[in-house]
Amino acid sequence: MLRSLVSQTFRQGLVHSFFRRNAASLSESVVVQNPVETSEEAGEKSVSNQKNSDESGTTVVVAPPEFRFMYPEFLPDPKMERRNKLKEKLERMDMLQRRSVIEIPEFYTGSIMAVTVADSNSPNKFARFVGICIQRGGSGLRAWFILRNVVDRQGVEILYEMYCPLIQKIEVLRLERRLDESLLYLRDALPEYSTFPFEMEPERRLNNSVVPLNPIKVKLRPRPWLERWERQDLQGVQDLNLPQRFYDRAKEVAKPWEKYDLMLQYRKTIPAEEQEKIYAEVHSQLQQQDLKRKIRRRRGPNSEQ
Amino acid sequence: MSTIGLLRTIFSHKILTSNVIQTPSLNKSPFIVGFFLNHDQVRTMSRVKRRTTHPPYWHVLKNPQKVDDKISADNLRFVREVIQENYKNKSPLKPSELQIEKSEWDPKTKRSGVIARNIGMQYMWEKDGKKVKCTVLHVLDNHVIRYIPPEEYVKTMIGSKFFKYKKPLGCLVVGAEARNPERFTKQYCNLFASVGLMPKKTLSRFIITPNAALPPCTPITAGHFVVGQAVDISGKTIDYGFQGVVKRWGFKGGPASHGATKFHRRGGTIGTGRDKARVWPGQKMPGHMGSERRFSRGLKIMRINMKYNVIYVKGTVPGATNTIVRIFDTVLPLRKLKEAPPHPTYFPPEDGTQPEEDIWDSSLHVFGSPSISV
Repeated sequence: MLRSLVSQTFRQGLVHSFFRRNAASLSESVVVQNPVETSEEAGEKSVSNQKNSDESGTTVVVAPPEFRFMYPEFLPDPKMERRNKLKEKLERMDMLQRRSVIEIPEFYTGSIMAVTVADSNSPNKFARFVGICIQRGGSGLRAWFILRNVVDRQGVEILYEMYCPLIQKIEVLRLERRLDESLLYLRDALPEYSTFPFEMEPERRLNNSVVPLNPIKVKLRPRPWLERWERQDLQGVQDLNLPQRFYDRAKEVAKPWEKYDLMLQYRKTIPAEEQEKIYAEVHSQLQQQDLKRKIRRRRGPNSEQ
Repeated sequence: MSTIGLLRTIFSHKILTSNVIQTPSLNKSPFIVGFFLNHDQVRTMSRVKRRTTHPPYWHVLKNPQKVDDKISADNLRFVREVIQENYKNKSPLKPSELQIEKSEWDPKTKRSGVIARNIGMQYMWEKDGKKVKCTVLHVLDNHVIRYIPPEEYVKTMIGSKFFKYKKPLGCLVVGAEARNPERFTKQYCNLFASVGLMPKKTLSRFIITPNAALPPCTPITAGHFVVGQAVDISGKTIDYGFQGVVKRWGFKGGPASHGATKFHRRGGTIGTGRDKARVWPGQKMPGHMGSERRFSRGLKIMRINMKYNVIYVKGTVPGATNTIVRIFDTVLPLRKLKEAPPHPTYFPPEDGTQPEEDIWDSSLHVFGSPSISV
């Protein structure tokens, strides 16, 4: 009984991962094709797309499935009692307005980023900070991310609001993911894991289709820590070297049944059908903005003036 | 309840019954009058019951009581058809068809308010980069149901009390959120029969001066207000239910440890000895918290979206998300309107020109404009 269950879940996981990889590669290949063609071609293509949809009678706009990882802040707060369709729509319109002015690139926790902000206290009125994104959250216009770096042997963290108009530029110097969704344990790790030079240059990606996963395992300093990391089921951490009683207690406190709680999952997430609707609404504008930016970049910096 | 309170209830009961005898037509509801004593009590004192959870007895019964009559599918279809025909051709009037007396606005004018829905909070930024937390208010499909002139309104039960020592004012009944008439009683639907509108879910009375009166059927939109003006917003606060003294009044409670037993969230003593050897009136104690009508006054309108009828207001308003609020021109003397707003209300331009869709306050950073450089 147990063995069959285990094998079943394993198979499901395999199928799931395969599907995801496949879906990502398929859809991303479509995205990659876009920048290759010139603007005229792209225009033609979009026109033909529209025609097709008109002929069939139903306009089915489907956004690529990886959009929910690329733009998670377009999904509203899943708390039911605070949701309102009209407000979410208006907020999305404002977000797209802001995105038409500034490029907010695709990034994940673990990516190394540089953010330039208007700062009245700095001598040249702008402040640039480089660091690793250790956490990302918020929905709508209140989306945020935290950058961490070690400057002069002092850990520095800055929380940036993605849609704050003080932000002048957001660059992704190295696009990659880590084994965990939240890297707050870097606060208790050795400083070399979160030290990045400010003169770092953006890395060129050879394979655009897949976001690389960095399987690095971080070594934590000995206790005392800010949190009880042994209880959090972290993947990107080396062996913690704790006495056995810590692991025993962690096992007692753990809630392994939560991953089977369907209602909990339902309340914590936006249903897939709703996600599709939301991304179908925004994806054409997002892609147009992306295309315009790529054309401008190819023409060179002179055209921007 | 203390003896004084008991006396008061008995006393008010007498007044109330006498009132009902004088105006029997007012009481259309089938409820017994004795249950609704609280509507006639003085409620400024904290020791008297503060809130009622039922509508006042002079309101007509709104929702039908459940009946077990089984209706066949054919009959149901017939009922739906009749409803369709009744309301099909009676669309709200156009502004040109309304006979509005042109009157000048002056600082003493009281304009009508607006029924809106609080649909959430949103961040916006000022031009110096300062973050502003705004409440988003969706102005619903407001229509004027009827106007009660001052002479008539003084004679009603509430008007007589309200204008006992004041110069009487008129009253505008405004409804919002049209709904299927099947959901309401015949008495309630009849309130809208003369106007020819679908029955509205929410009704509200706004006290106005006679020069701000509007004819029935007039739509009121978000353009009723101007960007930059201050408004008062009333709503029903979040209902927390029966709460202890720590949450309700912000008491400190007791220590968590150091040998404290059964004294963590308690209020402590409620009286002292000697002359004060009793519980004083107004003593803060556990009880029902929230679900009260409250105002937040003087909130600035930062942005108006005319297309979606949405008003963005700086600050927070009473009540949870997706609850009804009422928006008024402010009464605060220093923030009152100095220039004339759309009076008596806003009408879209007659020549068909589209008004500006999104109107921003001058202090705000518009999302489509370039980033701020300090």
